[in-house]
Amino acid sequence: MPAIIELRDVTKTYKLGDETLNAVDGISLSIQTGDFVAITGASGSGKTTLANIIGGLDRPTGGSVMVDGNDLSKLRDRKLSDYRNQHIGFVFQSFNLQGTQTALENVTLPLVFARVKSKARKQRATECLQAVGLGDRLKHKPSQLSGGQRQRVAIARALAVKPNIIIADEPTGNLDSQHGDEIIKLLRDLNKQGITLIIITHDMNIARQAGRIVQVRDGKVRA
Amino acid sequence: MRLVDYISLALRNITRRKLRSALTIFAIVIGATSVTIMLTIVFSAKGFINDQFEQNGTFQQVQVSPQTDINWGNGSGQNCNSSDCVKLTQALINKLAKLPHVIGIARQTQPYNFDGLFYGSKKLKLNQVVAYDANGIIDNHMLAGRDITQSDGNGVLTITSDYADGLGFKNNYQALIGKTVKLHTQGYYSGVGSDPVGRQQYMQTHCQNMGPGQNCELPSVQITGKVVGIADANGLTNSSGYTVRVPLSWARGMEENQDYGPARTSGDYCRNMPGPCMPPNVLTVTDELALNGYSSLIVKVDNATNAAAVAQNIRGTFKIGAADAETAIKQQLSVFNIVGIILGGLGGIALIVAAVGVINTMVMSILERTREIGVMRAVGARRSAISRLFTFEASLLGMAGGILGVLIGYGLTLIGNPILNHQLKGNNIGSSNILSLPIWLVITVIAGTTVIGMLAGLYPARKAAKLDPVEALHYE
Ligand SMILES: Nc1ncnc2c1ncn2[C@@H]1O[C@H](COP(=O)(O)OP(=O)(O)OP(=O)(O)O)[C@@H](O)[C@H]1O
Ligand SMILES: [Mg+2]
Repeated sequence: MPAIIELRDVTKTYKLGDETLNAVDGISLSIQTGDFVAITGASGSGKTTLANIIGGLDRPTGGSVMVDGNDLSKLRDRKLSDYRNQHIGFVFQSFNLQGTQTALENVTLPLVFARVKSKARKQRATECLQAVGLGDRLKHKPSQLSGGQRQRVAIARALAVKPNIIIADEPTGNLDSQHGDEIIKLLRDLNKQGITLIIITHDMNIARQAGRIVQVRDGKVRA
Repeated sequence: MRLVDYISLALRNITRRKLRSALTIFAIVIGATSVTIMLTIVFSAKGFINDQFEQNGTFQQVQVSPQTDINWGNGSGQNCNSSDCVKLTQALINKLAKLPHVIGIARQTQPYNFDGLFYGSKKLKLNQVVAYDANGIIDNHMLAGRDITQSDGNGVLTITSDYADGLGFKNNYQALIGKTVKLHTQGYYSGVGSDPVGRQQYMQTHCQNMGPGQNCELPSVQITGKVVGIADANGLTNSSGYTVRVPLSWARGMEENQDYGPARTSGDYCRNMPGPCMPPNVLTVTDELALNGYSSLIVKVDNATNAAAVAQNIRGTFKIGAADAETAIKQQLSVFNIVGIILGGLGGIALIVAAVGVINTMVMSILERTREIGVMRAVGARRSAISRLFTFEASLLGMAGGILGVLIGYGLTLIGNPILNHQLKGNNIGSSNILSLPIWLVITVIAGTTVIGMLAGLYPARKAAKLDPVEALHYE
């Protein structure tokens, strides 16, 4: 099976005054279509930075990130944005929903940038919310939903444009274990449907469910 | 991202923060209103002048009065009574007629001693009786019957529609044509139609034995006239409202002093008579109009462009008042232009302040929405989309301000027009509703504020677009 993501010697360096900090320090990694990868490591080890680089949200300082033969590190903003829009679904620890908008409107957002028409958008967003078990919460604002429900809205939003890859950065971090388990189950189901899943987690119970664990330490992958 | 989505998202963000948006728009509204009014005034005034040049020859006229300090429209009815004014006598008129560019003169007078217009049992207060040459220089719009002609003499008159309405002939003017009305005046009236002999006898029998301080009341006099025409009160060129017009020859008679009493030569008569001498009474008729001159003249010039020069020439040569409509209107316009410049300046300043307000609002809004921008970027918004979104928002603020400003400006023209109409009518200028908002002005103002909003939005929009997605997502 061909690797859909191929990282080679990826580095991300932050300059803080005189000091330089290698948040990602020469990571090479390949992820296959349909993989379920768990990224673990201590706080500050560089997991989020790595995931953001894979998701096209951040650019590496060095190395290359090949996706479908394109090097993400060389793409212009326009193409990189389209890549995020078309291929990636992000799920964040803090949900990152728009508080003033309904669940349906939140899920609609990626479709707006995909130039999908209003009617088709609503239809697709409804589908996605139904898929995460929130078919009866379309008009609810995030503040009217529980933490687990909010994260499910976020997953529905990540699903909206039918991405190949879902990157979930500590998706259960703000949830109790019961709701956390529900979310992980939901993500695993998506992975079973063929979506490549990258989960960052501290929870070894979750990591163990993954087909592959990538341990990060000081910006490097531990062999 | 599709255009409708930009607009609906931008609209949504504006309406989300109603108070802040309203305050931001408020400044734009002030600017837009000022600019709208400025443009309306300046262009309406210009259009008004152009119209006037084409209209009913007013601009070909110079109004001449014995009073030297007159403006167009208020120069009539000022008879020369004091010694320091020059009388508008026939001799003077003959000289005026020979001036270059002068092609005709209408002499005007106002027999001022009538106070009532009676028809049957109806009695109306009479404001003014006017008379002028029926030589076509002063043109009236007749609603029924005909205007006074040069061959008309005593006992013929026209009244304005206001009077016809007052006499109960509204919508039925034709029925009043040929009817006889009475002009009422006090007993001391000594013009044509009075009874000098009867008056003299009445005074001898009733007033002789009166004590000091007592007034001798003479019985009032009514003279009759036949209505030959109803003039449109709104279309009068040289007089306004409630007006009765009589032929100039009759007016001359009205102003006559017909006196029956001891002959002025009685001194001679009694010289060789011994004892008490009773000279015989004789009738003396004095042509007061010829003596005192006309109250005003309308001098017609060959071309409207010469009116101002002719007026100046008359003022300089004869030391009498002369006014032309164009100069008067230009004076009025200069007021408009000053108002326009002040409003334009105010509007400009307001718009600059408004633009700063838009920048401020947008920068604040971007700070508040940093995380939201991060989310949009994460789900695939391009930099250009973020930039456009905020530019749209700022443009919409500008557009809303422009639309409201134009609406308020339009409302003000609705208020301003009646006021101006009143003023113009007072100056005997037959134009009305001169303030108008052409569609191009509406479009220009709205487009202008939209562009100002857009320009003000450029910097904040750029700032928003340049936000790093990762940092934006973690912004607290
Ligand atoms: N914008 C930045 N500027 C400077 N340093 C940064 C920046 N972003 C991240 N870092 C540093 O890079 C390192 C890796 O950060 P990262 O967020 O990837 O860690 P993490 O493994 O996700 O940690 P956690 O488990 O706490 O989320 C940290 O030491 C962090 O302080
Ligand atoms: Mg992290």
